[in-house]
Amino acid sequence: MSDELVTLTVDGKEVTVPKGTLIIRAAEQLGIEIPRFCDHPLLDPVGACRQCYVEIEGQRKLFTSCTTVVAPGMVVLTQNTSETVHEAQVANLEFLLLNHPLDCPICDRGGECPLQDQALAFGPGESRYVESKRTFEKPIPLSPLVNLDRERCVLCARCTRFCDEISGDRFIELYARGAGERVSIAAGEDFRSPFSGNTVQICPVGALTATPYRFVARPFDLSSADSVCPHCASGCNVKVDVRRGAVVRVLARDNLDVNDAWLCDKGRFAFRFADAPERLTTPLIRGRGLEPASFGEVLDAIAGWSTGARVAFLAGGRLLDEDAYALAKVARTVFGSNDVDHRRGFHGGLAEELAAAQPMRVTYRDVERAKVILVVGLDAEQELPILHLRIRKAARRGASVFVIHPRRTRLHDVAEHLLVRPGREAYALERIRDSIGGDSAEDRVAAALRSAGGDAVVLAGPRLAEHPLAADVALATAGRHGARFALLARRANDRGALRAGVHPSLLPGGRRVDDPVARAEVEEVWGELATAAPGRSGHEILEAAAGREIDVLFLIGVDPLRDVPDAALARRALENVPRTIVQSLELGALEPYVDAFLPAAAWSERQGHVTTWEGRGQRMRSVRSPAGLSRPDWEIIVGLARAMGRDLGFETLEGLQEEAGGLLAPRPRTEHASAWAGAGPPQWVDELTLFTYPLLVDEGRLSDGASELKAGLEEEPFAEVHPEDAERLGLVEGGRVELRTAAGETSLPVRVTHDVAPGCVFVPFNQPGLATNTLLSGRFTSAVELVPVSSAGSEPVLAAEGGAG
Amino acid sequence: MSGTPRVVTANWGDPDVVAIDGYVERGGYEGLKRALSMSPAEVIEQVKASGLRGRGGAGFPTGVKWSFVPQDTGKPTYVVCNFDESEPGTYNNRELIEREPHQLLEGLVIAAYAVQSRSAYVYCRGEFLWPGIVLERAIAEASERGFVGTDILGSGYDLEIVLHRGAGAYICGEETALLSSLEGFRGQPRLRPPFPAVEGLYASPTLINNVETLCFVPHILRKGATWFAGIGPERSPGTKVFSISGKVERPGNYELPMGTPFRALLEDQAGGVLGGRALKAWTPGGSSTPLLTAEHIDVALDFESVQAAGSLLGTGAVMVMDETDCIVEATRRMVQFYAHESCGKCTPCREGTWWVSRVLARIEGGLGREEDLPLLEDVAESMLFRAFCALADGAVSPIQSSLRHFRDEYEQHIREQRCPFTGSGPGTPSAEPAELEPPSPPSPEAPGEQAPIPLSEVLR
Repeated sequence: MSDELVTLTVDGKEVTVPKGTLIIRAAEQLGIEIPRFCDHPLLDPVGACRQCYVEIEGQRKLFTSCTTVVAPGMVVLTQNTSETVHEAQVANLEFLLLNHPLDCPICDRGGECPLQDQALAFGPGESRYVESKRTFEKPIPLSPLVNLDRERCVLCARCTRFCDEISGDRFIELYARGAGERVSIAAGEDFRSPFSGNTVQICPVGALTATPYRFVARPFDLSSADSVCPHCASGCNVKVDVRRGAVVRVLARDNLDVNDAWLCDKGRFAFRFADAPERLTTPLIRGRGLEPASFGEVLDAIAGWSTGARVAFLAGGRLLDEDAYALAKVARTVFGSNDVDHRRGFHGGLAEELAAAQPMRVTYRDVERAKVILVVGLDAEQELPILHLRIRKAARRGASVFVIHPRRTRLHDVAEHLLVRPGREAYALERIRDSIGGDSAEDRVAAALRSAGGDAVVLAGPRLAEHPLAADVALATAGRHGARFALLARRANDRGALRAGVHPSLLPGGRRVDDPVARAEVEEVWGELATAAPGRSGHEILEAAAGREIDVLFLIGVDPLRDVPDAALARRALENVPRTIVQSLELGALEPYVDAFLPAAAWSERQGHVTTWEGRGQRMRSVRSPAGLSRPDWEIIVGLARAMGRDLGFETLEGLQEEAGGLLAPRPRTEHASAWAGAGPPQWVDELTLFTYPLLVDEGRLSDGASELKAGLEEEPFAEVHPEDAERLGLVEGGRVELRTAAGETSLPVRVTHDVAPGCVFVPFNQPGLATNTLLSGRFTSAVELVPVSSAGSEPVLAAEGGAG
Repeated sequence: MSGTPRVVTANWGDPDVVAIDGYVERGGYEGLKRALSMSPAEVIEQVKASGLRGRGGAGFPTGVKWSFVPQDTGKPTYVVCNFDESEPGTYNNRELIEREPHQLLEGLVIAAYAVQSRSAYVYCRGEFLWPGIVLERAIAEASERGFVGTDILGSGYDLEIVLHRGAGAYICGEETALLSSLEGFRGQPRLRPPFPAVEGLYASPTLINNVETLCFVPHILRKGATWFAGIGPERSPGTKVFSISGKVERPGNYELPMGTPFRALLEDQAGGVLGGRALKAWTPGGSSTPLLTAEHIDVALDFESVQAAGSLLGTGAVMVMDETDCIVEATRRMVQFYAHESCGKCTPCREGTWWVSRVLARIEGGLGREEDLPLLEDVAESMLFRAFCALADGAVSPIQSSLRHFRDEYEQHIREQRCPFTGSGPGTPSAEPAELEPPSPPSPEAPGEQAPIPLSEVLR
């Protein structure tokens, strides 16, 4: 593509498009749809199905419009104006149907199948093929999530091209040739790609079907709504299909500014949590046990406990923008408390203030067009999967990608990795920032950033929260070399919560509570604020609660026992705080500690906005009404304020949005600050460092009920160590190791791999049977001691028994 | 025959030219020395002036093709010799290599020098075990003598030649599929543009030439462009090695000037139709070229004359059928070959060859219907020029030409519900052979039941 324009006519209508445009795209601009199967606008042209023939005046042969680029003055005739083209398309459809089974009545695709639609629209009514059809065993599972029916396949290669070009997970491939050609996978292999569901969605027939949707519904049996995926800050646009009140399918919606046309498997297949049996939809209050009550009774009781009390709020990352704003406001104006936080890491800093004040500093489009991308402290595939695909897209367009991370990521084939010990990212960044040339890896990154200038992007991920200055050093590194900078959030609306002020020192729009000018701007809307002193961070709130310095603790969409990297502290806090109020979908392990429960509406039941990692606010629509008595969080918060005898100033979502709009407008913010101070040289440590972060598919609450997803992608817990460490400690692949930290100990199977930095151990955060936070003391890293567990077979007692038997 | 000028087969009677000593004694590598004394542009000019056209089938002017390879792209330039020789009926490349491998190597080094390539590949058909061994040995000999390798003959020019064996697929004779295969991917054709000259092997400028074409090059360098242009007709100069097979007395490779009438090849060289029977049909250039008949016996064998007669010179592989051969069966066999070799990438080829081979099997088996002939014509028309590459067009050639010249024979099959030649019909052993069925697929869900497919075969 270029800026040069080309004018041509399609079916007699003139159209002007950029040079290099394919005929099929030019026709689309005129509203002329040329039939196609293999063509996909986000995949490279392949010209395999041959359905999209057009006639080009002056040419003897027909051309496939999906592979032919426009030329000036070209005269294109489609099936609408050329009988030859029409006949060729009918003939080609007859070819495609030769070996296609008459499965439509039992096929999941029936009713939304391009092949069925085209056969109905212009296909031959009867086949002239009288011989027997090619048959295959049907269907075969490629994974617990994806099934393949090779008889239905039209060999368009969309699925294999997706895996090749987009996700880079080349599990499936075309195999054999001629009429025996088929999609296949290596025997014994599973299609273990976290993007496998996309192949189902782009399959133009029913060859690939998804287990969770097999035989579940017909398209005309569904009601649908446009929504945004609740699972991470990628913000994928989705279409949610509901049958008789239950969500049965999630599909990606096309949005080239956000998710292109893709969705990760978690977003696609983890949709049953709102209907999970553990869900509670009635307010509860502690009497003899937890007893059902009305919202009024529960809110009045809470108001009674809270009046004049020391109140703190912990929130999860999944509140909508509106909920977060209501929470930020109620905490300050009604309870006079700055003890409100949504974070599990990131201890303040300029990078965070900028992210709160200025949305869209870096967008998906910026990443896609970047010439150099530096990813620090992020396992993109596992943490922001769609950003991962965008980085891959940029790499495919020629971008140089560097990753600084303690563990090699699935960008390994397109990026140069600098494996650093966890917590040391800041030092690598400093070397990049201060590079004056040389040939170390850091010098090369610096040179690349410098050479790309404004076309370079630095993406700072959640691992940086392990060092108090790391995010700011990353910001300074970007600034020094003229690169653009983004602080990444992982959870779905972390960025919205930050912007709204669910933060101990930041009010809406990133206004510092201790900055009189900024505070005054908020007070103009909210009224005078009780305190100008920053409140406690999430970790400090728990410590205060454990130390009996807090009277009432609100847990809004968060479960400290499982989410916070210090299980013992969370338990002490819950034991020692007099009153605990949970506002969520369910209680889980919090049940013994809770004094009141407020049932919140689930993702599919809410309206409002969520904010992507970019800072882009996206509208969500409800697919169904809230289950039982559950309510949207902002409504509950308004009710709480009323019970406290106060008026939050809005009664409707629109009223809330109007008030918040002014405070959340982008604000100018100076970027120069004391962040230039160095992180200092790394402290010499000789012990091993344990580090952990959640993998994409884990035991998180939003994956409840997604059994196929877990069967397909969830891993048993493991401990990854570098071969050097393994040799030194006597650990072998497949053996077991005992991990001992100050907080606790556990035993796990060992994986020996060059994919982690020497000197550290990776354990996933929340896998089945392992609560990793029982090993942690407030951070996602910890000093750890590794002790090999001798295998049962080599124990002398057993050997003796074996010998005796 | 004494009056026939022989160029690339002149030494075939001499077993010594297989080894490098014999080849050099008879003037071998003199053409290379000439070439190295010239500039690359001069070499290209000389090949252009000779009028040499590619012998692989398309007949594109060789020197012009060389001049299309861009220089100074910042990428390496590759030369690939297409030794996939897989067109049914064609076997001159094999004998050229087996008898005088250095002739090809000399041509290859000259071509590589002309486009300033440092790296050349010979893509050898998978089934060609022996010729591959001969060639490997020759490459080693030439390297030892300094005709290949670094600083060739003290000229400062370096070239590495690598022999790559295919895995047995007709489609890999198609140049873009060959390049995919050479890169280690599935042998399937690629979109053009970009053309191989600009973005070929590893997305770099690539020159691809057929074995026979390259074999002429040393002689042109040695004896001059004018000498070569003086042989045969003006627009198709030079000689051509014709592979004649089928119902003839003396099948084999015969080198004749372009434009020699088919009658001279058949009667003077190959000894006429086997057993003195009547000629029925023949292919001028392999099974992908439309059949000609006895009435075309005086057609001159050059690109233009054969095309005027309604066929193509192709690879010059002449397959002769006599009066006892069943055209329906012959066509079925040819189409079955294409159904087996279709790479599967595009619809008209994959499904069309499958469909036609099954209809033809039915007709041959005595179960033809009247509507089958219009059906065959219709399907062939829907395949012709509609597929991704020319493989489907090749399959259409025997279908359309046999229907054009021998429709009565098809009609007889259908009328009599049997094959008039073999007698096969309903009740006789099925004419639908087992190979028509797709090979049984592996079933990933039951990995224990079959040997695992190596991951490398499935993943790219």
